[in-house]
Formats: sequence, C-alpha cells, structure tokens
Amino acid sequence: MTEGTDEAGVASAAVDGEPSDDVVVCSDVTKTYDGARTVVALEDVSLSLSSGSYTAVMGPSGSGKSTLLNLVGGLDTPTAGTVAVDGRDLATLSEAQRARHRGETVGFVFQTFNLMPRLTAAENVALPLVFLGRDRKERGTRAEELLADVGLADRADHLPAELSGGQRQRVAIARALVADPALLLADEPTGNVDTGTGDRIMAEFDTLHEAGNTVLLVTHERRIAERAERIVHVRDGRVREVESV
Amino acid sequence: MDASETLRLSVRSLRAHKLRATLTVLGVVIGIAAVVTFATFGASLEADVVSEIEGSSANEIYLVPAAEEEGGFPDAGQPVFTEYDLEQLRAVAGVERVVPRGIVQVTALTAGEETVARNRVTVTEASAFEAATFADGRAFRDGRQEAVLNCPAAALFAGNLSAGDRLTVTLQSGERENVTVAGVVDGTGGQLPFSAFSDRPRVFLPADPFSRTVVESPTVGVNQRVCPQVTVVADPSQTTAVQDRVEGYVTSERSDAARLRPAGYEIRARTNADLVDRIERVVERLTRFVTGIAVIALVVGAVGIANIMLVSVTERTREIGIMKAVGARNRDVMGLFLVEAVLLGALGALVGVPLGVAGGWVATRYAEIGLVLAPGWFAVAVVVGVGVGAVAGLYPAWRAARVDPIEALRYE
Ligand SMILES: Nc1ncnc2c1ncn2[C@@H]1O[C@H](COP(=O)(O)OP(=O)(O)OP(=O)(O)O)[C@@H](O)[C@H]1O
Ligand SMILES: [Mg+2]
Repeated sequence: MTEGTDEAGVASAAVDGEPSDDVVVCSDVTKTYDGARTVVALEDVSLSLSSGSYTAVMGPSGSGKSTLLNLVGGLDTPTAGTVAVDGRDLATLSEAQRARHRGETVGFVFQTFNLMPRLTAAENVALPLVFLGRDRKERGTRAEELLADVGLADRADHLPAELSGGQRQRVAIARALVADPALLLADEPTGNVDTGTGDRIMAEFDTLHEAGNTVLLVTHERRIAERAERIVHVRDGRVREVESV
Repeated sequence: MDASETLRLSVRSLRAHKLRATLTVLGVVIGIAAVVTFATFGASLEADVVSEIEGSSANEIYLVPAAEEEGGFPDAGQPVFTEYDLEQLRAVAGVERVVPRGIVQVTALTAGEETVARNRVTVTEASAFEAATFADGRAFRDGRQEAVLNCPAAALFAGNLSAGDRLTVTLQSGERENVTVAGVVDGTGGQLPFSAFSDRPRVFLPADPFSRTVVESPTVGVNQRVCPQVTVVADPSQTTAVQDRVEGYVTSERSDAARLRPAGYEIRARTNADLVDRIERVVERLTRFVTGIAVIALVVGAVGIANIMLVSVTERTREIGIMKAVGARNRDVMGLFLVEAVLLGALGALVGVPLGVAGGWVATRYAEIGLVLAPGWFAVAVVVGVGVGAVAGLYPAWRAARVDPIEALRYE
C-alpha cells in the first residue's frame, strides 16, 4: 500500500512543523563528496521521524542510504540543508557536543558489527558510558542488564573474536542501547549474518520498537524492510517514494 | 572519560604488543641508563676523592709547577724551588712551616737478606713529620743517613722493619746508600703535609744529603738543592690570605721558582679546597659530556616512540572510528594515544634507572671506589622519560584525534 509520494510531499511534512514529537527532521539535505570528481551522495532530502516510529530506508547500492544514516547520527555534516535531532540542528553543535550526541542521543548498529577487538563483550557494551563519564559500577550493571536482554549474559567476558557473527551483532545492539538513546540507527544489521540469525536480530528490533524506541533501519532487502511501519525508497541520492507498510 | 579508564585502555593496547613496546623504549632506556650510570659514577668518584682529601688539613697550600693551558695537570717532575725560595717562603707572614718534597729514583731497598724492588722514594725535611704520629721511633734528622717509612712500607719486609733496623737503598746510578730506620710513621689521617693518598708504601729520606738535584739560584748566584713540590702549612685562621701571599711570591720574578720554571709552565698554589673544586669541575664536565650523548639517545628514543605511535594510529584507525561513533570526543582519543606514548617513555625510565645504577655499580667496582647513589638524577630520569614520551606522542595523538570517523569506519 503506497501513500504520500514525491519528495515535495515529504518535505512539506517537515516544513509544516508537525507536532514537535518528531525526533529527527531532515530539511533539504544535500551531501556531496569532493574527490577526483564531485559525487552527489544525497540531494535535497527531507524526512522526519516521529517518536516511537519504525522506518526502513531501501535503495540500490550507492544510493546514499548510509550517507543519510551518518548525517542523522552526527558522524558527518551535510553540505546543505539541516539535520535536527531532538530539536537541535546538528551543524550548530561543537565537536564535543556532537560526540555527546553520538554517545547519548543515538545508538549505532553497523553491518560489520564494529566491536573493539581487545575489549570483552561487556566492555564493548559499556564503552559509550565510558565516554559519557559514567562510573565503573553503573557501567558494569548496565552492560550486564543489556547483555542479558539480548540473551548473552553468559558471554560477558568473551572477546568479539570468540563470538559468532549473530552474537557479535547482538553485542553491538546492546551497546547501541546502553545509553538509552532517543534514536536507534541500524545500517544493514543483518548484512553479515545468515537468514536465521538475521531474523532473530530483526525480532530484536521489533521488540525494541514495541518498547517505544525510534528506529531508523537501512537495508536493501524488501523482506527486512517490511518489518518497519514505513519504507523510504532512495535512489541516486533522492527520496523517490515513501511507502506505508 | 576519566583518567583511570584512559590509563587502563592504554595499558591494554600496549600489552597487546609487548615485544614492540619493549623494542620501542630501548632508545629511552639506553639514554637514561647512560645518564644514571655516569651520574652514579661521578657522585661516587667525587665522594671518594673528597673524603680522602678531607682527611688532610685545610690549612696546607701545595706549590707545584703545572702546564699553563686550561686544566693542565701538575707536573711533579719539574724541580724549581730552591733553598732560597724555601727561606723566603718561611718568612711570609702567617706561614707556620715549609716542607719541600721531591722524588729520588731508586731500584731496590735491601734489609738484611731481603731485597724489595722500588722505583722511587720521597725526599723531604724533618719538619714534615712535626705533626705526625709515629708507630715506632721518631723522625729522621736532616743531614743524617736516616730514613722514615710508613706502615705499608715497613710491611714490605718480612717481620716488619722497625726503628734501628738497617736499610740499604740502591739508587738508579747503582750507588748504594746505607741508612738507619729512624721511625715508622702512621700515615693515615692528615698528619703528613702531603697529599693524603698514603695507603701505599712510602719511604722518606732527608733531602740533605739524598736530593742530588742542584742548580744555580738565579737570585743569589750559588748552587742550591731544588725540589719540585713544596707544602706550606699556614696559620689555620688565615689560610686564604697566606695562599695569596705565597702565590704572589712564587709567581713573581722575585722567586727562583718563577725564573727556573720551564717555558709553558706556571707555579700554582693550591689548597685542598681548590683540589676538591677542581675534581668537582672534572666530574661536572664528564656528566655534561655524557648528558650530551644521552640526549642523542633520547632523541633517537623519541623518534622511535613517535614512529611506533604513528604506525599504531594507522593500525587502529578503525578502532578510533568505532570509539568516535559511540561518543568519544577528539580529546578522549588524543588522551588515549598520548598516555600510551607517555607510558612508553616512563617505562624506558623505569627500566633505565636500575640499569644505570647497575652500570654505575660496575664502574665503581672497576675503579675500586665505594658506590654512592645520586637519587636526584633518578627523579630527573623519570621526568625526562615522561617528557620524551609526551613530546613524541603529541603529533601521533593529534593525528589520531583528527581521524574522520566516516573514513575510519570505511577503513579496512
Ligand atoms: N567519503 C566518500 N568520498 C567520496 N564518495 C563517497 C564517500 N562516501 C560515499 N560516497 C559516495 O556517495 C554515494 C552514496 O554512498 P553510500 O555509502 O551512502 O551508499 P549506500 O546507499 O549506503 O550503498 P550500499 O548499499 O552499497 O552501502 C556513493 O556513490 C559513494 O560512492
Ligand atoms: Mg551503505
């Protein structure tokens, strides 16, 4: 079932200044990379995510999905337009404030897990809290809680190399959630695991959504995208279609 | 991010590459060990010499010709002081005693059936023994065929020589002189107005008649005995003033010594305090030289640390990206790498200090002096180690902090 259609429609939703329960508001975001030749990764993208929503971004390889996620996560800054999270324009933040945004307001889950190889599962989960300056005791209990939530309580002291791909991704999910972020960002979280494990990870996201988390998920698999409430189709750096599931 | 967590993470990444860390700090270890070795040896040497000199009196002034150039060492083989000079010196205000001293080359000493090879004996005057303690007998009398031995010299002969024993001295010319042992002097302590290195055997003969070196005094125009060294014992309350007066005399053309001295030589009047000063300066110069070498080693060490830290930043680019993605600030990343470099430097110091002390100990054993530690230098070493690490780590840490998280996460 297909609803609101062109980018203009999406843009108006943001510009109208909908109820302020929008966690993320992207307005006319453009991102270009200047290299040997200038690459336009995103062009005039407008998108808002309301609190507690579950949105999937789909599109072919190179269409700008990861770029969008990185902008929302504060890992990168747009060339033009604004990205506001929790009402704050990320471009106005200082380096340290943006770091805090990454550690506190958003939680990242990557396709390649991105765990610290020399830290145990529990230490990896607790890492965002280290940078937020939380004390050791609090870090320990939080990490324990979250590992238990993803079913890895017995693997707390294992190094990433001693875990399976699915287990690693669950550790990464626990880490993304440890600081209780307003927004969960996942870039192909099932891309490096088999179908069965992928389903279990997606079930994890379903649970998180049901618990009230705002989720933005990048995938190129329709089967995965359909678990979301809304699918944003991206091609060549533009939003082509927003589909309600 | 708190300091203890920074330290913990840094220690962990160092422990992941133990061999690499060890090899990296080698430069720092060598530099610091070198400084500590020489600081320890210098302190020991100084303590040894100073304690030995302090055993003798502070009111003795040694006159000796020495090469003029800076730091030229005294040359006790240049006989320049005539009997006329000795008389003039005795007349200087504040002078209590004037004791000439010279060397006579000999080949052997014989007592009874026993002959001992010796190559020199000291010639002086009876006044030399004025303050001395005798283990046996008394001082020789000037102009007599008598001798005084110190205890180690008496012990050269089986059954120890004592007062009244006969001794035959074979001169280098082959001539033999028969003397009677007048006494055995207890040479420890400062009673003899000579440099106090007196734990070796010494045989003393009266300059009259045994000193055969004679020249015409330029002042009075008659042949006189000359000697190469003179000890002036001053009134203890005016040593410095006496030193000035005595020096004034021996360096002026009024003295025979100044006129007899070979070209390129000057006559010096030195007290023990001057000697201590001089040794301290030598030790200081040695330390400065070694510090120069150590600085080179430390620069090499710093370059090593900087190099390995840069390699480490490249290797861990992805980890830096991960840390930034989960909320690390630039200064957190910078801190991690800086602390790691500082730990390497500190490790170098911690290994270098004991190694340097061991080196100093070996050197003191070799030089047969007592070991004296120089703890001030240990603190300097640790500060330098930490400083080298910090300086070496600054640029790599800055590079690490600047890593773009997007690029880093893309990095394989
Ligand atoms: N740092 C960069 N420098 C230059 N070009 C870049 C850079 N990052 C991304 N791009 C380009 O931007 C475009 C969008 O990249 P992006 O990674 O967002 O694609 P994607 O949709 O995530 O693709 P995939 O499904 O393969 O992950 C691509 O054409 C890519 O080559
Ligand atoms: Mg991507």
